[in-house]
Amino acid sequence: MDNLTDLPNSDGFFGEYGGKFVPETLMHALKELDETYAKLKNNPKFIEEIDQDLVQFVGRPSPLYFAKRLTDHYSGPQIWLKREDLNHTGAHKINNTVGQILLAKAMGKKRIIAETGAGQHGVATATVAARLGLECHIYMGAADVKRQSLNVYRIKLLGAQVHAVDSGTATLKDALNEAMRDWVTNIEDTYYIIGSVTGPHPYPMIVRDFNAIVGRELRKQSMEQFEQYPHAIVACVGGGSNAIGIFYPFLEEFNVALIGVEAAGSGLMSGKHAAPLNDGEPGILHGAKSYLMQDKNGQVIDTHSISAGLDYPGVGPEHSNLKDSGRAKYIAVDDDEVLSSFHLVTKLEGIMPALETAHAFAALEHIAKNYKSNQHIVINVSGRGDKDINTVATMDGISLD
Amino acid sequence: MEYLLTRLDDRILSLNKAKKKALVAYLVAGDPSLDSTLELMHGFVDAGVDILEVGVPFTDPIAEGPIIQAAHDRALKNNTSLSDIFKLVEKFREKDSKTPIILMGYMNTFLANSQALQEAHTSGTDAVLIVDIPGESNLEKFGIKNKNLAFISLIAPTTSEDRISQICNKSSGFIYYVTLRGVTGSSHLDISETEENINYIKSQTLLPVFAGFGIKTPDDASNLSKISDGIVIGSSLVEMIHHQSNQKEFKKIYNYLHEISEAINR
Repeated sequence: MDNLTDLPNSDGFFGEYGGKFVPETLMHALKELDETYAKLKNNPKFIEEIDQDLVQFVGRPSPLYFAKRLTDHYSGPQIWLKREDLNHTGAHKINNTVGQILLAKAMGKKRIIAETGAGQHGVATATVAARLGLECHIYMGAADVKRQSLNVYRIKLLGAQVHAVDSGTATLKDALNEAMRDWVTNIEDTYYIIGSVTGPHPYPMIVRDFNAIVGRELRKQSMEQFEQYPHAIVACVGGGSNAIGIFYPFLEEFNVALIGVEAAGSGLMSGKHAAPLNDGEPGILHGAKSYLMQDKNGQVIDTHSISAGLDYPGVGPEHSNLKDSGRAKYIAVDDDEVLSSFHLVTKLEGIMPALETAHAFAALEHIAKNYKSNQHIVINVSGRGDKDINTVATMDGISLD
Repeated sequence: MEYLLTRLDDRILSLNKAKKKALVAYLVAGDPSLDSTLELMHGFVDAGVDILEVGVPFTDPIAEGPIIQAAHDRALKNNTSLSDIFKLVEKFREKDSKTPIILMGYMNTFLANSQALQEAHTSGTDAVLIVDIPGESNLEKFGIKNKNLAFISLIAPTTSEDRISQICNKSSGFIYYVTLRGVTGSSHLDISETEENINYIKSQTLLPVFAGFGIKTPDDASNLSKISDGIVIGSSLVEMIHHQSNQKEFKKIYNYLHEISEAINR
């Protein structure tokens, strides 16, 4: 096996996945971004600027918290929570945007665009754009605008414009299509901050590198707090940015099991889900080759998940390679499991996870029994659940009006 | 990739001989139905179109503006698949064995049908244009190979000089120059930049250079034909097809194409 941490190769491939499958107009901008990033990523001043933002603006490091009552509940392994929900703006997404906005600045771009599903990446982008006084446009599927109305309003308060996208399934995939069309049109002055480890090279690499702070902190914290690396790390996977961020610094620690959790929606058998790694085939969408939910003609099929942030037919190419190589395992949990897990964690730990994150917690029902009481599992708490209150209330049949 | 001379090369040679500019017309297969697509293809040729570009619908066509996107959606509602399109081409060939046909679409659709693509020329298809793959890529790496087909590449205003020569080296048939920064059907045509870029491309290749994206009026067509070897009309046709489809009356479209065809050879 290649050394997994050395990927992608210079063409942007993780094994057979990744690459740059984009209209010609974008090729130059991708090359420019690749070169800028290569130049800056080892520049001490650039690193110092990001580190300072991560500490003073984002509030890093995020704590590693021992979930005592959850541990007692499963009476299996010791369960620890990596608290990305405590970051400024409420999710891991800000780790990436504080980094990418500095790339935009270095490239002299005046206009920022982004896609968003759950709205967390939209908020995180609007936040950093506001801070630098840059014009900002957020593309969001019309269905997501409805179910994540709180975040839509937050984005607007931050001075960004929200464009509801009606085409296709009116969710994250269509928001990405529209953001790419904007980028093709405004290529000269616009920087596109992609929010996950998806899209054409170099995005999957850049977004991973900026999120890898989570895994690097965990290496240190786990040694300090329980004197070894975890036996397993569990994270939810939509595009897969929070998962790759916490997995990446452990790729070469082969005793650490890496478990990604996809959205099984109404159940894998129902076909109404968003679990390409569990039930998809390799294909090409949004600039990269990766596992994809598609029919036999290569048309992308509609997805379903209770969580807007996971409601996406594709997945980051690095995850596809980790799946094929066997280095990471990917399971899926359905909407019902997610909802009961949301309630369980909220009541037992006083922590209300995002519905995306609740997928990682729900995996405990399946895997906790495989570990002993002297073993340690870390759940990446990728975001907090305030934005999901309306969805949860509706699912529980409660009206908030 | 070595490839055999196709109907497309024949057509380009004969246009060249006659000192005529090429008129390429685009429509989406299956919008509003495969039967109308077939009728339109023959009608286009009668109206003066030299080369047909048949859009292969895809759920996520990121290079298309709203007009062509909607046409892809309509065609997919009719479940139009690539194998349907091969059958359409076969039917077209019953009456027309000369007009070259290019299939234009997105990588995932072709990848899912890479097996079928190896036989595509037997249906009468001459070339493939994949919008979302860099022109210098080696398609064989992805299991797409057929030396009986030309693979057309796009060059954009943002393409760097070193990539222009790489793309030219890999291309066959003609070079498709994207006249603007934007999606299909936009309106930011910049003639002087286009002229400069096309001249540069022509210094790098013997292949003809056609201009497309954003060409709407006979005037646009006439201006661009002066600086290129041919032009591609897409969105405005697709829009007319959509608005005419209820009455099955395509005469207006054929008149429009006829006007364009005259304008580029004036």
